[in-house]
Amino acid sequence: MTAIDLRSDTVTKPTDEMRSAMATAEVGDDVFGEDPSINELQERSAALLGKEAGLLTSSGTMSNLIATLAWSNHGDEIIMGTEAHMFWNESAGQAALGGVQTRLVPNDSQGRINPDDVAAAIRPSGNLHFPRTSMICLENTHNRCSGGVLTPEDTKSVGDVAHAAGVPVHLDGARIFNASVALEVPPAELARDVDDLSFCLSKSLSCPVGSVLVGSQDFIDNAKRWRKMLGGGMRQAGVLAAAGLVALDTMIDRLAEDHQHAKRLAAGLANIDGLTVDPESIQTNIVFFEVDEDLGTAADLIAALNRNGVLVSYPGKQSIRMVTHRHISPEDIEEALSRTSAAVRELRSAA
Amino acid sequence: MGAEQMNVIDLRSDTITHPTEAMRKAMSEAEVGDDVYGEDPSINLLEQRASEILGKEAGLLTASGTMSNLVAALTYCHRGDEIIMGDQAHMFWNESAGVSALAGAQVRLVPNDDQGKIDPADLSAAIRPRGNVHMPPTTLVCLENTHNRCSGAALTPQDTKAVADVAHEAGASVHMDGARIFNAAVALEVPPAELVKDVDDVSFCLSKALSCPVGSVLVGSEEFIGEARRWRKMIGGGMRQAGVLAAAGLVALETMIERLADDHANARRLAQGLADIEGLKVDPESIQTNIVIFEIEPSVGTAPEVLQALADAGVKVTPSRTQTLRMVTHRQVDSADVEEALSRVAGVVGKLREQNKA
Repeated sequence: MTAIDLRSDTVTKPTDEMRSAMATAEVGDDVFGEDPSINELQERSAALLGKEAGLLTSSGTMSNLIATLAWSNHGDEIIMGTEAHMFWNESAGQAALGGVQTRLVPNDSQGRINPDDVAAAIRPSGNLHFPRTSMICLENTHNRCSGGVLTPEDTKSVGDVAHAAGVPVHLDGARIFNASVALEVPPAELARDVDDLSFCLSKSLSCPVGSVLVGSQDFIDNAKRWRKMLGGGMRQAGVLAAAGLVALDTMIDRLAEDHQHAKRLAAGLANIDGLTVDPESIQTNIVFFEVDEDLGTAADLIAALNRNGVLVSYPGKQSIRMVTHRHISPEDIEEALSRTSAAVRELRSAA
Repeated sequence: MGAEQMNVIDLRSDTITHPTEAMRKAMSEAEVGDDVYGEDPSINLLEQRASEILGKEAGLLTASGTMSNLVAALTYCHRGDEIIMGDQAHMFWNESAGVSALAGAQVRLVPNDDQGKIDPADLSAAIRPRGNVHMPPTTLVCLENTHNRCSGAALTPQDTKAVADVAHEAGASVHMDGARIFNAAVALEVPPAELVKDVDDVSFCLSKALSCPVGSVLVGSEEFIGEARRWRKMIGGGMRQAGVLAAAGLVALETMIERLADDHANARRLAQGLADIEGLKVDPESIQTNIVIFEIEPSVGTAPEVLQALADAGVKVTPSRTQTLRMVTHRQVDSADVEEALSRVAGVVGKLREQNKA
């Protein structure tokens, strides 16, 4: 039985076209700025997102950390949502390496942040007790909020508050293209009111490695030094950039299929007694669902799912996450639902 | 031959090397998986092979030598520790002060001689006594082999042991920046594992003379590598299907080590030729591997002036210490290129000396 891998869109493998592009990519030493494939990817990414310049990094975590280091000094405070990936799953790098304190404000169930909460959290200057607020972080789509999307208006409302206080906005746009496709809005619209943005090549875009950070020329010039310090100064990484260029051309529109699959998945899960999810809330490729306590814990269900050939990720005591991507077909969705029912039945009979 | 047709001889660094055809093929066919879940078979195989070759328990693919060195510092050190290294160390000169900025460690320098060696007595004197609240603890000593700023000199197993013994005696760990460790192994005709048997961990570069497009591998004990993985993730080095890169590394470990001897022969010939040029100074006997650092006499000009003049003549080099320049040989420079480079350098230097006399 082949397992149906719904753990993450990071499991995606490069397409044949990517493999071919990688094999023939023109390369050079990127530390000297001489890799034409990387240069092209960086320029195209910036243009697509309406920014001046771009920078290839080895991961979304690295891009987010670079943004923190570029905007902040030791002893600053950065603001982000309570469910932010940067807070939950980036090894506390901002604190450990950046020396900044992270201040959380509430995310609603769709991943939005209330601009009033941001305004209240921004530190006034001139008080010796207070750190300086150096950066506000948004996330679009929002991982822990079931892949919820921020609209340009949502983004602007926070951006305006931040900019009125002289604070830059970083957008963790690991899945920005999922947002763009779901909202049917050009990606540059979603990036317009933020100062810099990172997006992942290695998630649903299916490239093997990498992320791209985009922003103003000054920001990117500064970011290069932090990237080098972190060890992200790669050499002939045009072999990776080549896959990215293919992705920007061929892998964005198809995200709509992953979204449909996720909605169907949520609808099916909602019909399984013992599981709770609101299918209406699913906007992109991520589905979080709750396991009823009388059925067991998420860990119990995950063990049962694994036995039945469904791989998922484990975010909480009673919640489980499934992520759709190009390796998951409509048939896989139906099969996954059927296997999930079986897993739930197993748990029920054990209880 | 007109300027437009002149081929550029690029001696800036062995990092400029492109992947070989065999690597391109291996990369395009590589079996991959999500390495953050530990599921990339190509990476797993590379890490295993690398650790076997170097006689260590486990390995970790990283995006660069800088990343490997930083991960080692983060793994061994607490903030407020002191790291000792040579005063010509790449980690001190060219890694953006990362171990201080990010790992919170102070770097203490001891002299490197011109062969890149550290005197164990100097190390002993620099190690901090424990139990004094004024003093940071010395937790890490870093060696470099071959030594970049010391003309690519190789440390012998004996050199390494002498320093490592002092460090271990004092309770400090020893990290070897072995970016060019295979150059050392080939030059000394000693198995790589011999060169690192007395250090706790070593990093080596795939992207330098081994010619892979990207990467470095850190090898050490299982425990060390287990911890290192977490720091690597924190700094953003947790890549996904990077088996596409590892596949090139596997080809390199099989096919790109022995040929380093050619680079060494070319470097030696370069040094001999440069030594014969009036106005330049280098000791060809001191050239052990693929790096040649030569001095420029004031009668010729400053190092930046000479660098530019050489660039205009189609020979690319890099700056080094004051009044010196550096050349690095690699697979994309053959013996004919070496002769041509020497001829052009002689021309440039002769002309500059003439101009200065006038």
